Formats: sequence, C-alpha cells, structure tokens
Amino acid sequence: MLSTLQTPRLLRFPTFSIKCLSTSLPLPTPLPSTTPPPQSQILTTRKSLLSREISAVDLATTFLTRLRHTEPHLKSFLYVSDVVLKEAEEVDRKIRDNNEELGPLAGVLIGVKDNIVTCDMPSTAGSKILENYIPPFDATVVEKIRKKGAIVIGKTNMDEFGMGSTTEGSAYQVTANPWDLSRVPGGSSGGSAAAVSARQCMVSLGSDTGGSVRQPASFCGVVGLKPTYGRVSRYGLVAYASSLDVIGCFGSSVADAGILLHAISGHDKFDATSSKREVPDFASQFIASDQLDSKPLKGLRVGLIRETIEDGVDPEVISSIRGAASHLEELGCTVTEVSLPSFSLGLPAYYILASSESSSNLSRYDGVRYGKQVVAEELNSLYGESRAEGLGSEVKMRILMGTYGLSAGYYDAYYKRAQQVRTLVRESFRAALDENDILISPAAPSAAYKIGEKKNDPLSMYAGDIMTVNVNLAGLPALVLPCGFVDNKSVSLPVGIQMIGAAFEEEKLLKVGHIFEQTLQGCSFIPPLVADELAC
Amino acid sequence: MGSIRTLHLLKPNFTKNGIFPLPLTLRSYVMKSSLLEPPNVPRLSETARISLTPQEIEDFAPKIRQVIDWFGQLQNVDLQSIKPAIRADTEGDNLRGDVPEKFENIEALISAVPGFQEPYIKVPKVY
Repeated sequence: MLSTLQTPRLLRFPTFSIKCLSTSLPLPTPLPSTTPPPQSQILTTRKSLLSREISAVDLATTFLTRLRHTEPHLKSFLYVSDVVLKEAEEVDRKIRDNNEELGPLAGVLIGVKDNIVTCDMPSTAGSKILENYIPPFDATVVEKIRKKGAIVIGKTNMDEFGMGSTTEGSAYQVTANPWDLSRVPGGSSGGSAAAVSARQCMVSLGSDTGGSVRQPASFCGVVGLKPTYGRVSRYGLVAYASSLDVIGCFGSSVADAGILLHAISGHDKFDATSSKREVPDFASQFIASDQLDSKPLKGLRVGLIRETIEDGVDPEVISSIRGAASHLEELGCTVTEVSLPSFSLGLPAYYILASSESSSNLSRYDGVRYGKQVVAEELNSLYGESRAEGLGSEVKMRILMGTYGLSAGYYDAYYKRAQQVRTLVRESFRAALDENDILISPAAPSAAYKIGEKKNDPLSMYAGDIMTVNVNLAGLPALVLPCGFVDNKSVSLPVGIQMIGAAFEEEKLLKVGHIFEQTLQGCSFIPPLVADELAC
Repeated sequence: MGSIRTLHLLKPNFTKNGIFPLPLTLRSYVMKSSLLEPPNVPRLSETARISLTPQEIEDFAPKIRQVIDWFGQLQNVDLQSIKPAIRADTEGDNLRGDVPEKFENIEALISAVPGFQEPYIKVPKVY
C-alpha cells in the first residue's frame, strides 16, 4: 500500500544505505499490474486521526525524521519549522477533547514555497536580498490552510524570485531530484516538488508563472496543479509577473492536489484579480477506482497539441504521451490531434511580458523598507549597491531585459506586441477548447536533465518552457500527472502529461486526471530514495 | 499572424540531446529584422538602479543581446487589428471600496526597516 501512515519507528528508523543515496540509482523492476493506485494522503490522514489509529504527533515525527534523513542529499527546504510537533500536539488535543471542530486539513503537513509569505518563518523568495526577512503577515493561502488545521512543515527552495526552470537559480542551495541526485528537480518550485516526491511532506504549495509548478511536477513524478488565473488569491505571493503568476498545488495523488486547491481557492478582497465565482467542491470528483464504469470517460473529447509532439521533443517523452493518449482512449475518450497556430510565438511573448513586469515588480527591493541594505552616502548608490549585492545574475539580467522592453520608444515594439500575441494565444486556446473538453501535451520537452547542464545558456533554458508558457498567457488551468518514464542508462526518470482545461474548469481536469491515475497499471511513481522505507 | 513558413523559421531549435539556441543563419535573420537600437547595458543598469561591475557588464551584454534579438521575432508577425491583452482576463476587476483599514502588525513592518529612527525611515541624502 502506498500509504505513508506506517507505525512510527522513530528510535529504529531504517538507515539508508549508500547505494540508495547514490547519484545513479538502479532501474526499478517492472511492477505487476496489481500495483495499487496512489491514495489521498489528506483523506487517509483524516481517517486515521479520527479513528485514533495514529496520533498527529506520531505522524509529524515520521515525516520530520524522513525529512532530516533525506535533506542533506535533497536540500528541498530553506527553513524547517521548529513548532511542527507543538502544532501536532494541538491537533491531538482537539481530537482528545472532542469539543472543537477539526479542520479538514488537521494534521496535514504542508511545504510552502519560499515566495509565499509566512509571518512566523523567514520568506526569502530564494534571494539574498530578502535574507532573514520575516514578513508581517501570512499570505491568504497560508491563512486558509492554517485555519483548516494544516501544519506548515517548512519553506521550500526555489529559483530566485521564480526566475528559472531548475532551482539552480536559488541564492542559497541547489535542490536535487529525488529520482537521481545528479539531476535538477525542475523549477522554479523545485523544492516543493522534490519535497512531495521524497515524501518529506504530504502536499505542498508552489507558484506557476510560466510552468513553475507543472514542469517540476513532471521532473519529480508528482501531481502539479496550476489553477485558472484568479482562482486563488495572490495576496502574499511575492510578485514576479503579476499578469501571469498563480499559486499552485503539489501532491502525490490527483485527489490531494484537488483537496488542497479547494482549501486555498476563493475570492479575496486583497487581490483585485481574484474571482468571485463560487468554488466547486473539487473533492467530490474522486470516485474510488473499483466503482468506475468500464469506459468512465466515454464521450470526452481530448485534443493532443500537435506542436508539442514534433521534432526536437525527446522521443521517449513523445512515446509516453502517446501511451497516455491510448490509455485515455481505453477509458472512452476520443483523442484527436489539434493545432494551435500561435503556439511558438508564446515563448518570446511570455519572456517579454515576464521580464518587463518583473522589472517593475522588483523595483521595490531598494534596501529602504526591508531586505538587504548596503550603506551608501547617496541615495542612488544605496539603491544600486543594495540591489547589486542582493540580487542574483539571472534576476539582474531579466530586470535589465525588462527595462529595455519598457523603455520609451521600445514599448510598442516589445511589450505591446507581446500583449497582442497573448490575445492570439488566448483565442487559439478558446477555439481548440470549443472543439475539445481538454487538451493534452507533455509538460516539458525532456525528462530531468543534469545539474549544471543549462546554467550558462539562457535561451536553452528558456526553450524548455515551450510546453507551459502558453497556458499562463491564456490564464487557463492545467494539471500535470506522471504517466511514464524515460529510461536513461541506469536511471528511470518520470514524465508527466499536461492536461489543459477551459477557464475555471478545474473540476473537469481533476475528474479526468483522477480516473487516469487510478486506472494506470504497472507504474509506481515513488522514487527509489524512499521506496524501500514506504514498502515496509 | 505569421505564415506557417515564418513559424517554422522562428521555432526554437530542439534536438534529442538538448535544446540549443537558434543556428547562426536563423540568428542572422532575426537580427536583421530588429531595427531598434541594441541594448546599452550600462545605461539600462543605471535606469534599473543596479550597480553592475565591469565584469558583469561584459558577461551580461552578449546574453542580453542574444535574448533581445530573439524577442525581435515578434516584430515580423502581422498583429494589425489584434487588441493587446493586459492579462488573461478570466474575469474583470473585483475592486473593493476605498475604505482605510488599520494594519494590525505595524511593529513587524517597522522592525523590518533597515534604518529606522523613530518616526523616520532613514536614507542618505539625494544629490
């Protein structure tokens, strides 16, 4: 059973052998088709706590122990909370006393990306310019999960200010991929993805501006959910590109991602772009696999985006996606290829918009009201030196590119044209989603690559975002879930399929994703790093 | 909206072993089509208030130039009569009333200020 709710063995915690933590992990042997599908850790936790099968403290202890054991190798966390057990004790007290309502996320251990502010823990957004910065408020999403009883286990590593696709851009540390410690976990929410993949926490929050939840979900073999722009409040999310940023969810099952999304969704008066639409009960989509019909998705029209399976995409990734498409057909879907004519324009348009908006958003880091300050005798030098010392290279370059794009005389040529391309992209998705219920594609052109492979070539790194940025331009929801593997010499690396829906149709995506996941045979997406422990 | 032929030329060049920048011939095509002045990194850094070292200017300039040239491909796309979208516009603005509310944690706000001398935030003089 793929549950993490084993009897805690704090004092006799298994010691990982050097073989398990080596950078070249053995190929997992093919699994029998009777491998059970992933279960919701959130629902299992609730059931076990209420039935007194396990206490919140024992559960928290298990996760903390695993976290501390794997963290020297993964480096997913920038900060681990020192009140996890205290908060777990509070959950146990409520259960014992039985006179207070237990929130739906009671005892659930959540990692939070470090660009989502927490008033009791530092929030650095992966940057030295905010080193040791303690925000004066919790982000709305953090307030919501805490009100529902969740325990924030810590703040996860990320590319600085969300700018990057590998998490190598963090000013603090490089996070490793739990499937192969010599490879990147993806980015910019690499820490959040790796933490869920390695079962250091149950679920986590990330942010997605151009694919920063979906691509690391694919690289780490976990579920990543990017909601519709406006579904989740951005209040308390350190802004990168305000017209593109969203907060998203990671889980080891589609159900967990959906339940977490439900917990954080809804209108917020502090975010003028947050939607007033009612939040559906996403959790009601998750039918048990033994209760499904033989063709549970009969009649669903699926469009496979042609531009995402052409030359240049890793052939094994294409093969995994085509395999996933066949699986959807077996479930009753009709899968056809669709073309999005403006697809390739989305990448330069995205980078123009993102770098331009970030040049404005990051102008607040001036060393005056918070963050790193370099002492200077003159104000412009204070700004210039504080920002020079506090900001990393990639961030500086993007600010400079954005400054250029917004300069007088250049705005029409770059920023305005990128906004026009956004209209084109939006319209082409609208047309495709009029003919199809969902669209599918890979989440990235390859599986996880080696640490250091793309560091010095910005265009090479940007090109990897081709599968994801158009969804942000159009503001649509997308779900990534693992669907196969790429076999790379001695390592098997997970590959995720991206499912894209119309605006505010997260329910449909979650339903399709859940059924796909629950009926996928012969695949287990638990990295070898923790598979032995969880199998006990 | 560009032609299929234009899109073929402008597609990023992926290969099985990795993703590489546009080949030289395509890069030349993109550069010729950009009639705007190339980025002046020292001037941009002054505008953006980031003090770059000479080494940083030397390192950043070619990379920024390469990316700006790549941005330039949008200038060859026919976008006449296409309305610019400031955001995804999945829903309109939901503004709240302009009613002042007191922020509860003023102490934490102030404690984050590097140079606070009550009641002022201290900064150097402006020349």
